[in-house]
Amino acid sequence: MTRDDSNWAKPVKTLESSDRDGAINANVHGRRLNAANGGFGRLFQKTFSVRIGPDVTPQAVIATWKTRFGEFWPKGQRMFLPATGIAPGEVGIINASIPGTPTMATGVLVIYADDVSFSFMTPVGHPFAGPLTFSAHAGEDGVTVAQVQELTRASDPFWELAMMVPVLGERMQNDIWRSTLANLARDLGAADATVTSKIVIVDSRRQWRNAKNIWQNAAIRSGLSAPLRIIRRG
Amino acid sequence: MTTAESAVRYHDGTAVVDLPAQIDSTAEQALNDAYAAAAAHGSKTVLLNFAGVDFLSSTGIALIVGILARARKDGRKITASGLSAHYKEIFEITRLADFMTIFADENAALKGEGPK
Repeated sequence: MTRDDSNWAKPVKTLESSDRDGAINANVHGRRLNAANGGFGRLFQKTFSVRIGPDVTPQAVIATWKTRFGEFWPKGQRMFLPATGIAPGEVGIINASIPGTPTMATGVLVIYADDVSFSFMTPVGHPFAGPLTFSAHAGEDGVTVAQVQELTRASDPFWELAMMVPVLGERMQNDIWRSTLANLARDLGAADATVTSKIVIVDSRRQWRNAKNIWQNAAIRSGLSAPLRIIRRG
Repeated sequence: MTTAESAVRYHDGTAVVDLPAQIDSTAEQALNDAYAAAAAHGSKTVLLNFAGVDFLSSTGIALIVGILARARKDGRKITASGLSAHYKEIFEITRLADFMTIFADENAALKGEGPK
């Protein structure tokens, strides 16, 4: 047994998600995880960082972030976690609203968590395929820095096109983490919540063999099932 | 904060990077330096030797992902060896194995013998 054993989730073939109060639990249960190579679009490596300050430890940043993860997201994005919170093997249900469209339901699996970092993997149908890592560390000048790192592709042609739409694409794929980090920094008392971004295209080729992922697209499926949900609520 | 060190050895066109025991944010400099040394040496392949690793965090995975991204841009191949069953499991969860060939040990990697 290695020192990190309890920090990692056990491998799963498909995700299991239970209903949570107020959440649309769809497009998660029974879905397999999707890695970056299982996605469709260009492969991006992205790092978003914000300086929190010298008086807040990396452990304090991650403790706050884990406990109140969804609170730091931009308006309209909601994360429903089980009572155990962000812990290895737990599934978070995401309900995301884009004005004028039905709420999109998807989720994430927490694959890793310790006191200075945690990571998610996304299921097929989620806008992005690949791992997302959230961490905090002391920079060279002793200032604690919070970070989001990802190596992701858009899951399917629908999401790849959406990401290329001016404003909407930027909002969907990058502003969510810029807003999250700025909100986190402000909450922790940072004097300057400016978020820096480094975005690199690692592979500009589309993976056409994964275009079929569109059948699992969480937004399309959420849209198609919206009338049924309304009827059920009656 | 303490920093880790990675040793780099060379065999023909392969740079063998002996990873530090702990791969987390403290290993960033060591990993970047090791990759830079391998690139400066002109190695076509970088073999990440996990034999001595006993702690790998998600930040460590992100660092490895960063090395993979750089190697991909540089046209360099990344391989791995010496993964314990636990780390093979982690590579399965994170699907890092999609991006690199995994060998049972260093000898097999250097001989290019069947991935394990």
